[in-house]
Amino acid sequence: MRDLVARYLNHALSRRGFVRGLTKAGLTATAAQSVLSSVSSVAGAQSAVPPTPGAPARAATTIPAAAANAGSAAVKPFQGPGGAAFAEQLIASGVKYVFGNSASEDAQFYEALVDRPQLKYILTPHEGPGAAMAAGYIKASGEPAIVMQAAVVGMANAMGQIFNAFKEQTPLVVYSYRTDQSRRAGRDGFEEVPNQEQIVQPITKYSWLARRADMIPETVRRAFKAAWTPPHGPAYISWHSDYNDERVRTEIIAQDQFDPRMRVRPDPDEIERAAKLLVEAKMPLLIVGDEVSKAKAVGKAMKLAEMLGMPVTQVRQLYANFPETHPLWVGNVPAGTLRSQPYPKNPDVIINVGNKFQHNSPAPIVPRGPTFIDMRIDAASMGNVMLTAVPLVADVGLGLDDLIAAVGQLMTPTLKQKAAERAEEVRKYAENAKTLRAMVANSPDWDQSPLIADRVTWEIAHFADPDAIIVNEAGSVAMHSFDFNPLGGRELFYYYGAHLGSGVGTAAGVKLARPNQQVICMVGDGSFIFGPTALWNMARLELPVITVVYNNHAYSGPHSRVISKAPGGRMVQTRQFVHDYLGNPDMNMADIARGFGVAGEVVQSPAQLREALGRARQHTVEGKPYLLDVQVARKGVAWSDKPWIPPIRVAEMRQRKV
Amino acid sequence: MIVRPGLLGLAAALALVATAAAQQPAPNPGRDAVMSKCFQCHTDAMFRDQRQDRRAWEATIYRMIGRGGLYTPDEIKLMADYLATDFGPDSKPASPAGSK
Repeated sequence: MRDLVARYLNHALSRRGFVRGLTKAGLTATAAQSVLSSVSSVAGAQSAVPPTPGAPARAATTIPAAAANAGSAAVKPFQGPGGAAFAEQLIASGVKYVFGNSASEDAQFYEALVDRPQLKYILTPHEGPGAAMAAGYIKASGEPAIVMQAAVVGMANAMGQIFNAFKEQTPLVVYSYRTDQSRRAGRDGFEEVPNQEQIVQPITKYSWLARRADMIPETVRRAFKAAWTPPHGPAYISWHSDYNDERVRTEIIAQDQFDPRMRVRPDPDEIERAAKLLVEAKMPLLIVGDEVSKAKAVGKAMKLAEMLGMPVTQVRQLYANFPETHPLWVGNVPAGTLRSQPYPKNPDVIINVGNKFQHNSPAPIVPRGPTFIDMRIDAASMGNVMLTAVPLVADVGLGLDDLIAAVGQLMTPTLKQKAAERAEEVRKYAENAKTLRAMVANSPDWDQSPLIADRVTWEIAHFADPDAIIVNEAGSVAMHSFDFNPLGGRELFYYYGAHLGSGVGTAAGVKLARPNQQVICMVGDGSFIFGPTALWNMARLELPVITVVYNNHAYSGPHSRVISKAPGGRMVQTRQFVHDYLGNPDMNMADIARGFGVAGEVVQSPAQLREALGRARQHTVEGKPYLLDVQVARKGVAWSDKPWIPPIRVAEMRQRKV
Repeated sequence: MIVRPGLLGLAAALALVATAAAQQPAPNPGRDAVMSKCFQCHTDAMFRDQRQDRRAWEATIYRMIGRGGLYTPDEIKLMADYLATDFGPDSKPASPAGSK
């Protein structure tokens, strides 16, 4: 009878077949109808769609009224294979898309998908770009998703993107089973490694091995809770592969029953201190970060800056978190620390709102001297480097609300006049800076072929839609001319984590989440070749992304940085660099794209680029992706026209023509 | 990781400029502009042996604009003139900073 119930719950058996089976097993017709009635109520409850971790309010409207009214609707009994319980819990956790690579031991999960069309499986040909696609989708939609791979081998391929998710604080949930079954674990079996779930421990918020098959749903829920509780981050879950096949009795529970709804208000006393420091400052400076975008608080950051006439900047982040056309925007910090920022030269009070601060030199980003206020939800990374006069642990949306109110109460007419004068000074600087930045187009190399990277960027910036999304994984390329504006204008998805090979996958995921915005992926040739397989997903899913490869046939960044560590050395003298030249033979990225089903072309000159961008637009209008392989000049110290290649000549070793 | 790595050329001069400045205090507005505009981001090590003509130095300066460098046309001219003179194709190779 247990088997009959399981088959019925899994839609493998009709109502009539179920009743017939019960009577054959010896039940009376009345008893069989009674069992059918109770089992049907369970089956009905399973189909309720629960809220998503990212958007509980909106998703709550999707819960059927009957289910929402029933106290027990959030908890649904389940009987069936562990793999089906997994699928049910994903649905209950708000997941719509599964980004996976083929995994034999997930058979029962795949079986469960057949009758659960609300859970869509996207087959990704490589786990790395597949995970990048999932992360791109999550970042652009604010909705949960899961990455699935085969055992430790699939997990290893995805680890680069788990690392990116960890650095970028993306709530990416990743699952792969242990190939070893529970009754033969520890015997060095096929694809077995001890403590598989611990391999990713340093780069996840939560990693766990479910100890029993009936604990699969609970493990899934905990992973989503950990990933989606601020500060966000990736989670990894695993279990022995036989648990997917094992019949279980367990509970499927809506994710909102486990969401701690962590929205923290800052300490009111600290808010008072921060407000006083800011209104009394001669030259305050606001640094914005990704928490501002995640909290949808860009408008609030803008309001605070305007109240105080306070200039705004940003150091390396994933998103552009402030309108770059705003008169108080003074530009991104050019190098690693605020000392490289041309203006303001001597801020006396600096407030950071939501920037995690990636310190890339021994010198702290915020130098000693100015009074520093730090507002973030990521308390763990606060106070580790900079002296922090006022720590404000908070959801930055709520924190900005409170700070704006506190500043408003302190603003006298005199202070308002002072702020207005400062705003005028900042506006003049910003206007002049904009004029000077536009001079990038005056380069004597502007019209050359192959193109300089700045020309490619400039052409893309003048081609892109006003609300285009730019996914950038072009490491050596300067981002200019876009005038990003997270308030309805152009958006940026930068490769903050910097495990390369993420760009194309990210762009595919972003387009899946935002089908009605133009998505342009800017990627260097070195980065592109780490992860082009998501092009196939673009072709199969008809994701009309424009991918522009800056192809200088080289790793420009490593070239320059190596020279900085060995200036004037033998490499520079002899022009013999073993690590940076990707040409001879030159890779043709348009040909690679065609292999994945994406049309494209090679571009040699500025004039060709404009025409090619026009063709790219036409393709995307028709719902097709397109790729431009733009030939870009190698610029910098010690490049040769025909770079040296290490003399490894296998032809000279061959003695047989085989 | 690839982070604004192409801060090309200008700092070619930097260490040498620093050394030269100590030895030759004579006013040189082009050198002064390089020191004030480039040292904010660069160390000198990457480019001290760079040698190229004026056009290439000018192009190098313009590449810095895309990376956040802000220069007036006059400053660009001063810097390009200076770099082309002291770090042109025929200039002697620089000594590593701190050595002779």
